[in-house]
Formats: sequence, C-alpha cells, structure tokens
Amino acid sequence: MCTGLPRTACPLRLIALCILLSHAAAYFGLTGREPLVFLPGPFANEPTNGKAHLKQCEQMTLTRRQKRLCRREPGLAETLRESVRLSLLECRYQFRNERWNCSMDGRGSLLKRGFKETAFLLAVSSAALSHALAKACSSGRMERCTCDDSPGLQHREAWQWGVCGDNLKYSTKFLKKFLGQKRVSKDLRAQIDAHNINVGIRAVKSGLKTTCKCHGVSGSCAVRTCWKQLSPFQDTGHLLKYRYDTAVRVHSVTNSATGETELAGPRRHSITLPRPRPTELVFLEESPSFCRPSRYSPGTAGRPCSKDTSCSSLCCGRGYNTALRLTTLSCHCQVRWCCHVECQTCLREEEVYTCKKH
Amino acid sequence: MAGAIIENMSTKKLVILGVILMLFQAFSFMVGGLIAPSPTAAVSYLATKCVDNEKTHHKNPKWFTPWGPDQCSKIKDFDEAMVKKIEANNIVFAIHIPPPNTEMSTWFQFLLLILHFDIAFKIQNQIADGASITIDVRLAYRDDKLSEWTQMAHSVEQRKLSCNFTAAKTIENEGRLYDCDLLPFMELGSVAHKYYLLNVRLPVNERKKVNIGIGEINDMRLVGIHQNGGFTKVWFAMKTFLTPSVLIIMIWYWKRITQMTRPPVLLEKVIFALGISMTFINIPVEWFSVGFDWTWMLLFGDIRQGIFYAMLLSFWIIFCGEHLMDQTERNRFSVYWKQVIPIVFGSFCLFIFDMCERGVQLKNPFYSIWASDVGTELAMAFIIVAGICACLYFLFLCFMVFQVFRNISGKRSCLPAMTKARRLHYEGLIFRFKFLMLVTLACAAMTVIFFIISQVSEGHWLWGGHTVQVNSAFFTGIYGMWNLYVFALMFLYAPSHKRYGDEQSSADQAGNSGEDTQLTTTITHVDGPTEIYKMTGKEAQE
Repeated sequence: MCTGLPRTACPLRLIALCILLSHAAAYFGLTGREPLVFLPGPFANEPTNGKAHLKQCEQMTLTRRQKRLCRREPGLAETLRESVRLSLLECRYQFRNERWNCSMDGRGSLLKRGFKETAFLLAVSSAALSHALAKACSSGRMERCTCDDSPGLQHREAWQWGVCGDNLKYSTKFLKKFLGQKRVSKDLRAQIDAHNINVGIRAVKSGLKTTCKCHGVSGSCAVRTCWKQLSPFQDTGHLLKYRYDTAVRVHSVTNSATGETELAGPRRHSITLPRPRPTELVFLEESPSFCRPSRYSPGTAGRPCSKDTSCSSLCCGRGYNTALRLTTLSCHCQVRWCCHVECQTCLREEEVYTCKKH
Repeated sequence: MAGAIIENMSTKKLVILGVILMLFQAFSFMVGGLIAPSPTAAVSYLATKCVDNEKTHHKNPKWFTPWGPDQCSKIKDFDEAMVKKIEANNIVFAIHIPPPNTEMSTWFQFLLLILHFDIAFKIQNQIADGASITIDVRLAYRDDKLSEWTQMAHSVEQRKLSCNFTAAKTIENEGRLYDCDLLPFMELGSVAHKYYLLNVRLPVNERKKVNIGIGEINDMRLVGIHQNGGFTKVWFAMKTFLTPSVLIIMIWYWKRITQMTRPPVLLEKVIFALGISMTFINIPVEWFSVGFDWTWMLLFGDIRQGIFYAMLLSFWIIFCGEHLMDQTERNRFSVYWKQVIPIVFGSFCLFIFDMCERGVQLKNPFYSIWASDVGTELAMAFIIVAGICACLYFLFLCFMVFQVFRNISGKRSCLPAMTKARRLHYEGLIFRFKFLMLVTLACAAMTVIFFIISQVSEGHWLWGGHTVQVNSAFFTGIYGMWNLYVFALMFLYAPSHKRYGDEQSSADQAGNSGEDTQLTTTITHVDGPTEIYKMTGKEAQE
C-alpha cells in the first residue's frame, strides 16, 4: 500500500482524502479549515470500552448531523475509515496507467470542478462506503442493520416473524441518510454530484450475486434458500472505471413545465438527447490533459511507465528516460497460512523507464 | 369393491362437494401467500479475526466474542498478524449468531450454517490440488447477555476445498479472490437458545501437513439459514386445524366399513392406512419444540414424510390393480409385492441416507456426509439406488394404468350384452377409476408446477400492492391439497349404505354362475347415478 513511505504518512493521506472528498459532496463535512488528526492508524490497539467510538467521531471532519449519526452507531467511525482506505486503494489501482493517477495533490481543486475525474471520485467513494457498511453489518460491527426503523420490541418481533431485509438494503438507505441526499437541489452541480453518487451505489448493487442452497428432506430441493452476496470491491472498481471511460457530458435544460433545471444529454446536431441513464457517470467540463503540473495534478514528469504499452500516452509525446536499476526481490518463498513467510533474496537488474520533463 | 358413495352421489351433491374442496384449497394457498412470510431467512455473517494471546488455552476454553461489551482483541487482516508475529494457531474466527439487537427463537426450528472462504490468489501461496482444510470449531450458547457461554459442541472437521481461479495466474492478478464452492458447516435441529457463539481455528501443523497448501485465506464467511418464525406459526396452525379434520373423516370411514356385514376388502384397508399416515404427518408434535429442546424433530419430520409418500405410492399401485376387472387374483396384498418392493427399498435407502446425515448431526452438528470421499460415495450410492427404484416404480405404475385402460376399453364393447347387475357393476368400476385418475393427475401436476415456480422465481410477487409469498403459498397450498385429497378419497370411496334389491337381476344371476366371482350382492339403483356416471355409461355402450 504505502511502500517506501514512513508509516505516519499513511494516516495523513487518509485524512487528506477525507477532507478533500468531503468538500464537494458533503461526504464528510468540514467543521473548520484546519484538518483534524485521525486516530494513529489501523495498527493501534483499539480500546474495548463501549464509548470509544465517541472520541473517534469527534476527531473526524463531519457535519453536525453526520456526527450525531456517528455517535448513535458505535461501528460507524471505523467503517468510515475503512471505506476511505478502500476507495483510495481502488482508485489508485484503476488509474495506475493513466495520466491522472488518483494523486492526492491537487484534489481540492479537482473536486471544485465538474470533470470526469471528479465524477469517478464521488462514485468510488459512495461505492466504498456502501460496500464497507454491508461488510460491517455482516461482522456485527454495526448494531442496527436490519429493521432499523422499528423501535426495540417491534424490531425483535419483526426479526422473529421474518420480514427483515438484507444488509445491503439497509446500507443503501443509511448511506443516503448519511450523505444528506434528501433535498432536491436546483443547483446543476449538486444534481450531478448526487447522480454520480448513485452510480457508485448502483455499481455495488449490480455486483450482488444470488447464491442458493438446497436443504430439505434428504437434502433435496424441497426447500431452497437464496441470499445476495457482495462481490469483491475490485470488481466494483473495475466497473466504475468502465463507467468513467464511457462517461457522458451533460448540460442543463430548463423544464418548461415545472420551471426546474434538469440534466440533459449531449447536444448533437441540435438534437437534445434525453437525460443520462442512471448507470452513466456524468460530467460538466472536459478534463485538462494532466500532462503538465497544474493545480489539478503534478503532471506526468518522472512517472514510471511501460516501454511498449503506456510510455507513449503517459509521457504526452515527450519521450522517456531509460535507466538501469538493481532490484532486490523475494524469490523461492515458502508461505504458510496465515502469518509465516520465508523467502530468499534475489538480485535482478532491470530497465526502468520514466517520462521526460517538459 | 362394493358400491362406493361416489357412484351413488347425485351430480348436484358432487359439484357442491367439489366447490367446497376448491374453496378450502384456495384458502390454503392464500394463507401461505398473504399471511406467512417467506419460509426461510438467510443471514450473512463475516467472521471477526480475534487474537488468542494466552499460551495455555487448552485448560478452560476462553470464548472470543466479536462485538459487545467483552469483545476480543482483533486484527483487521493478516498483514497485521505478520507484523505482530501472531501465529496461525492463535487466530480465532469468531461469529455471534444472531446479529446485534436480535435474538434467536425456538420458532426458527433449525439453524443451518454454510461456510465460504475468501482466498486470495498469490503466486507464492497457491491452493494445492485436492487441498483439504482442517477446522477446529467450538459452539457455545447463552440465554442472556450477561451470563457465561456454555459449550454445546466441539469438533475437528475437514472440508475439501474446491476453488477456481478464472483470471490468468499472473502477478497482475494477485490479490483477486478464488471462486470457491460453498461448504456445509453446521446444522442444528432446534434453536433452543437466544445467543450462539462460534469460535473457529485453522490450526497449522507442518509435520502432519495440516492446513498446508490452503492458499491465502483472507476472510471466513458464514450464511445462517433458519425457518422464519411467522412461517412456523402459520404452519403449526395449519397442522393443528388439519389433524382433527382428517381424524374425524378417518373415524367416520372406519365406522362405515365396520357397519358392513362383510370384512373390509384390501382397497378399503389401504385407504384407511393412507388416512393414518396422513394423520401421522399432520399431528403437530412440533409444538413441543417451542417448549423443549428436541433436536430430533427435523429427523422425525423426515421419517413421517417418508412414510406418507410410501403409503401414497403403494395406494396408487393397489388401486390400479384392484380395478383390473378380469384379474382373478385380487383382494390380497401378496399380489402386489413386485410393485411394492421398489417403493419399500427406495424409501429404505433414503431413510438410511437421512440417518447417516441428520442422525449423526444429532451428536455432532458439524458432521457432513459429503466431507469425506467414502461418505460422498455412500451418499451417492444410496441416492442412485433410490432413483432407480423410483424409475422402476414409475414404469410399473404406467404399465398398470395402461392395463386398466385397455381392460376398460375391452369391457365397454361388452357392456350392452351384459345383465343389468353386471353392467352397473362394471360402469361403477370404470367411473371410480377414471375419477381418481383425473384427481390424482391434477394434484400431481399442481405439485410439479408449483415446485418449478418456486425454483425459478425470486420467492415473492407484487400483486396490486400486496406481496405474495410464492414459496410459502407453495408449501401451505400443496400440503393442504394432499390433505384434501386424502379427505375426499375417504369420503367418496367409503362404502355406500344404499341397498336396493332388484328381482329381475336376482333372477338373471342364477343363469350366470360362471362370472359370480366378479360380482357382489350390492346393486346400485338406477335413479342414483350422477350425470357423469350416465355419460360414462353411454360412452361405454357406444
């Protein structure tokens, strides 16, 4: 994950991602201009007393309403951090060969604009939170995961009767509550952000696999029970990358009947296409090239690339430098589950290609 | 068989009875579809990885809870375990059943757990061919949130891993998950406690090759399946209503038989036995499971179902045989041993299979016959033999039905030449057989159709604002249907008490002593038959 960087850099990156993501879409609200410090990191021994989550909630940059939700649900703070980690890792993986490689430099400026990259960030963040919430429900870290609208006794009776829904249904409902999507805004940008957040949620839903089990008399299919299973988040990330590659540019149209502003598809030959599909990522502005350093990205100078596949596009025609590097890598490993690896060290000389500066 | 009620019943009465039965049938479908929830619920559990820091953990087993006030110390993933030098034998997967803020209930009747591993692909740590995973698992319960956990089962089990990696095995695809089959994990025949806790270890022993070559296990998931409490209540209520209904008709039927001067014939005995087996399956002994921790209730239910099906299949064979009108040997069970043996043998094989699976699970809930090679082969053998017996039975039944229909068409051409008594007798036989054949085919078709629908559909439909639980409707509807089938059978095929002497036919009998073995002294009245009966007679005459 953070190879070659000091360990303290990891939580700082997570914090930065939280802050920057929260600015645009009220994902995590800003309580002030100064970033607050996260808990030390995933390796810290978490205190086991019942009110540890209260301190964690205060330390995150959330809106007042989000903090209230966080205090009420003990497992939410941990889940939020897990979702940030998940979205960051997946974003970097999906864009590892692109000019914009999900760098955190310039993210603040990026989130203020309506680029394709902004759309992807919103979608992957909401997808990661949806996924992390469903996982937290499965492991029992979230307390109210089914029939959350029922008060205590009715909740128990509903559970025993058998009308409780599944985890993802709850996590989707909670997610929309957390992000505050109830208000229908007339602002075009807010509509676009809400649309892209929903694309992320839908990507997690479309990845659900229905699995069935036959159990009954002698194991026959007299009784068959089905449930929905989460796909690995890599699959969701892959789908969102495809949505990013096929994103649709939109503009605003005033509905003459209601007087409200609506999203509309691209204008071609003076014919306006209908509004974008719920599964399509949408953006307002064409992206910059990300080739040179700007407020949106540090540029591609010095980026490693693959000679035959990605150097030509990644280096924007500037060419690449070749260097020989002596690499030590592990080989002839003997691995035992879960926690034991014995490897020998091998030396390998390899050519490294990096993009030239402008 | 002497004249039955069905032959003497008027068309009007028969239609009224049919309508009443149809209304009950529709009602039994609607009870399941509209009142009950779906029959079962599935809950996903993701195991928490707890760390056992104590060295002497074999003396008093410490219980690790994944959440709650006294939760264990956890790790998020095994990179963390590697950094902290935690060994495999100190990792405990902890699962609390049910989820937070819920309780298990005796209404859930059973708890079935299915196991699924998330195993990541690593070039240096791949899953060996034929890999088997060894699971050291303990199950505990408690009945309130403050008391200690009490152990109720402990076992060391093996399960065969069957995993596929669909992408290319390259460095690029490291970290992707294998596609692994589901593994049977545990089945409890009763849910007597409110809270259950599972602690699972995957012990590693390099010398004995225990848990070597199982790949990089990231997570352990369980799916818990139980019967919904609401469905259980509806099901119990239905059984409680049906038991006295079938019992009353059984008593009435037996009184009708004993009122006759002759001993009961084989078919009457078989119908009565069918009623007994239906009552046996109806008796709601399940009510005891709400108050007592009887884990054998599932097995007992299976046995009762097996008895009923064996009895039903035997009845169909004997009913066909007794309606072969030229058969000289009849009214004796020994005539049918060839056809009944496949039923008995097939049922016996399934019974042994069920004992090997659910019977053993009474002692060890983690046992699965599919977990070992010998068990899998034995199970497949029993199932294949039962399947062969089912095919043999089906062939025998089709052949007998064919014989009866050929016999009927042969008799039809002779009907006009017969004496009145003999013609009425044969017409009665034909009508009885055709009626039951039609009803049986309708019931069997309904069962198959609903089985297919429940396999294909999601389990519930939205119908004008109401949610219809198709699977629940299937269970209550088909169950109610077979009860109505047995009820109608005992009512309509009870011996009729109408007796009319006809001097003319009595005189004719004297001249046909050669065929007296086919006749009975009961002669049906001309005015009694239904319209269907008369049409059948006309058809026979043509």
